[in-house]
Parts: sequence; C-alpha cells; structure tokens
Amino acid sequence: MAEAITAPQRTTAVRRWHVSEHKVAALVLVTPALLVIVGLRIVPLVLGAQYSLTGDGARNGVFVGLSNYQVLAGDPVFRTAIRNVGLLFLALPVAVAVPGILATFLFLKVPGHRFYRSVYFFPVVLSPVIIGAIFNILLSFDGPLNQVLTKAGLPPVDWLGNSHVAIFAVIGVHIWATFGMALVIFMAGFSTLDQSLLDAARCDGANLMQTVRHVVIPELSRTIQFVFVTTMIGMLTGMFGLVYVMTAGGPGGATYLPEFYIWVTQGQMNSPALASAASMVLFVLMLLVGLAQVRLIKRATKEA
Amino acid sequence: MPERGIGRWVVAVPMFGLALATIYPMLFTLNVAMKSRREYVLDRFSLADQVTAANIAEAWNSSGLGRYTVNSVVVTAGAVALLLLLGSMAGFAFSQLTFRGRRWLFLVCLGALMIPFQVIMVPFFRVLGQTGLLDTHFGLILAYTGQFLPFTIFLMTSFYSRIPAEVVEAARVDGSTTLGVYRRIMLPLGLPALLSVGILNALFCWNDVLISLLVMQSEHNRTLMVGVTALRGQYSDNIPLFAGGVLVAALPVIAIYLFFQRQITDGVTAGATKG
Repeated sequence: MAEAITAPQRTTAVRRWHVSEHKVAALVLVTPALLVIVGLRIVPLVLGAQYSLTGDGARNGVFVGLSNYQVLAGDPVFRTAIRNVGLLFLALPVAVAVPGILATFLFLKVPGHRFYRSVYFFPVVLSPVIIGAIFNILLSFDGPLNQVLTKAGLPPVDWLGNSHVAIFAVIGVHIWATFGMALVIFMAGFSTLDQSLLDAARCDGANLMQTVRHVVIPELSRTIQFVFVTTMIGMLTGMFGLVYVMTAGGPGGATYLPEFYIWVTQGQMNSPALASAASMVLFVLMLLVGLAQVRLIKRATKEA
Repeated sequence: MPERGIGRWVVAVPMFGLALATIYPMLFTLNVAMKSRREYVLDRFSLADQVTAANIAEAWNSSGLGRYTVNSVVVTAGAVALLLLLGSMAGFAFSQLTFRGRRWLFLVCLGALMIPFQVIMVPFFRVLGQTGLLDTHFGLILAYTGQFLPFTIFLMTSFYSRIPAEVVEAARVDGSTTLGVYRRIMLPLGLPALLSVGILNALFCWNDVLISLLVMQSEHNRTLMVGVTALRGQYSDNIPLFAGGVLVAALPVIAIYLFFQRQITDGVTAGATKG
C-alpha cells in the first residue's frame, strides 16, 4: 500500500487510517463468501466422510468402521456403476479428440466457421433434462431412428431398453451434448497461439499434420490438459439428468453411474450412510482424475 | 498453417454434416410439437400440416408448467443475485486488497471447486432438514449459491485483477472508503464480467435437476426442469404433447443463447486460458 501514498504532508495519518480501514473492509467483503463456502461445501464434505463410517437404519450414528465400503464392493449395482465409469474413461479420448480436430478446422477458418461454432455449442446450454427428453423421443423403440433403420433393411435396436446398448446410448448422447464445450475451450487456446511459430513451421515446409504434432500440441499442452480434466469431471458429475430422464438407471441397473447410485441410495433406499461412502469413492475418483491427467499430459508433451 | 482452397472445402462437408446432426434433433422436436397425435403415429418425419402452438399451449395449461416456471424464476433470480453480490465482494478483496491469509483463503475457495454436489448431498440434505430449509425456495437458493460460488469468485477475481491498483488507490486518496470503492468503482467497472457470470449462473440454476430434486420435495415447489421429467409419464401416449412441453421449457434458454452467446462462451473459456 505504501507506494500509493502520493500526498507527502499527510502520509502518516493517511497510511494509519488506511491500514485499519482497509483490513476491516477486506474482512467484511470476504467473510460472507467464506461462510457460504465453508458452511455449504467444506463442512458437508467432512460430515460426509464421517457419515460414511457410521451405520444405517437401526445402527444409525453408530461407528461401523469400513463396513459401508465393504458393502459397496460387494454390491452388483455399484460395481456396474464403477464399470460404467471405466467405459467413460474409454470414451474420453474420443470426447477430447473430436472437438480438438473440429477446433483445428475452425481455426483454419473453414467457410462458415462462426456459424459452426454457434451450432456446435448450442446443446451445451440446454439442460440434460431437455436433451434427455428429446432423445427419449428419437431413441424410443417405435421412434424415428428405428424407423430409419427398418427402412434401410436393418433390424431395429432397443436403444434404451437393451442392457448392453443403453449405457452406450447415454454416453453417446452426453458426448453429443457437450463436445461444444471442449470445442470453445480449444478455440480459446488456439487464439493464444504464437502466429510466428506457425509461420516458421510453414517456412520449414511442415505439412498440417507435422505442424499440429510439433507446434500446436506442445504449445497447447495446458489447454489440452484442461480439456481432459474438465471433460472427465463433466462425465463423472454431469450425467445425472440424462440417466434420470433416459433410463432411470435401467434396464436392470445397467446404466447406473456413481452419482445416480448416490441419489437412489440416499433417497429411495434410505441408506444415507452407504450413500456417503459412495460419495467418498466418487470424490477420490475426481481427485485421481485431476492428478493422474496432469502427470500424463506432462509426460506426453515431453516426448512429443 | 496451410489453407489451400480445396482442402478447406473437403473438411467443410463433415463439418456441415455434424452441424446438421447437432441441430436436427431440436428441429425434429419442433416439428413434432406442431403435429397432431395422429399425424405423428402415421409418419414421424413428415412436415407438420400447419404451424401451430396448440400442443405447446395445451402442455403449458394442463401440466402445471406455469407454477414450476415461477418457482424456477424465483430461485434462479435469488441465487444469481446472491452469487453476484458475494462473488464480486470476495473477488474485489482477493484481487485488490492485501490482508493476512489472502492467498490461503483464496485457495480454500478454489479447492471447493473440486467438491461436486454429489459428494456432499447426503450431509447437505440432513443439515437442510434440521434447519427447516428443506422444500423451501430459500433452501434451494442457498444450495445453488454454495454450489456455484467458488466458480463465481474465481472469475470475478481474475477479472478484477486486471484493473490497475492505481484506480483503487486514487479513489482512496480522494477520501473514499474501501467499501465505497467497491460500491462506486468496482461494481460499475465489473458490469461486463457480472453480466457474463450472471448469465452462466442463471443457466446452471435453471438447468439443474439433481439439487432441485433433492431440496424441493413437494409437487407445488417443483422447478421447471423437474416438471419436465414428469411429463414423460404423463404424455407417454401423446408424443407431440410431450414435445410441446419440452419445447416450452427450452425456449427461455434458447432465447438467452441467441442474445448472449458471446458472454456465455467468454465465461466458460475464461478459466481455460489462464491455465
């Protein structure tokens, strides 16, 4: 603060008044927000960790050690939810690569690139509920997509009613609805690219693939890392609405994800302690995603 | 980068196909919403005989969507107002003022970004029940505020840190208090960021279904998105009516997107380029 005092004759008085007033003001400005964050985010997190070690029903509030976690490990529905998280991980490269390639095209200023950007981003602003409802119509067994398949001489597919297909339908719709998000993040990254590097690559006779591999990817490593993390977190925490509307976890629990499991276990099953344990598993999963991907990308960019 | 004419047109074809795939489901739904039930059963794809809002009107009138919309507007407006107030206050302090623990407290706020609602919903539900806030508009407003405040603080802090410190100091030397600086300088200067963050938060709150399902237990307190999830069962044998209800619920968001597209994309990318 000292550098701000420009009126020499009043220096000491002004400074003393400043220091105390300024500190009180900072306290007044920051405290409400901190109360909300600590009270509504951090305290519940600690409480949740504690609940996860207590029992449900008759053993409500009684310390039971890790038995909730043992129940989870043996629960076929929760295991399906975790298996589906594995599928999400497998889908992740696609969910990042598609918008990455599209962003490259848009960066090259294909004709109509502004229009494409607006269209691709549009589903991102719609609620998963709206998206899910629309695809409920499109993917229903007697719906339009199957009508097209039948006309083309193919057998209809029970997109949301077949336990082997439904999870892929839900993941596919999620990627369809959210790739615009990764796209605009990539484009923001592209706009920070150093044009002289690209010009240099061109002077050296690099083709598009070489330019992307040796200039764009290393330069954008932080953006790529950010997209990986946000896309995976979106998959782990942003699919509840779709599952709820499209399949309600069915058929036969095949489309459960951890967040849906937590919600059902807390509410319909009335087992909040077990739900808390599932919450902690999801939280650890989120932290691992953040850490693991930061490392992976660091290594990948060193090799490139 | 190479930009040979023919190559640009070659990529333009799949780009156009994908754009069609993105927009078609919406157009299909719009078309269906204008059909009669009979028309839809006979042919899913044919263009509607007439441009009509009859299904939309009927869905609106017969399924309580009006009441749900009022609930959604109330909680969204309340939460956004609270978020902008608390977020701009904290953002100003974190970016322009020096005080003990500033860095550490800011890290607490950012760390909360990594706690999704799913992880804390059980204790949250219990605490809300104990304080009598379950199934109340204020309870849902608080839930949304807690959920989206870390993100709001992050964006407001990075916006305000671009304002030179001299602006604040000059105002102070002129005899303004720090809170006066916030009210008379920081709030007006922050308007573009507040607009962007406000629209994003409004979308988050409006589109939410999980938090609303948890907090609002009774039917008359439902928000619009939860109301839409109930339409499917109600209109399972009348898809055009269902489509009409879905469309009504999507309309405000479509309008906001058409007007504020730049603010929305600026907001979601603001975090990315800072690293």
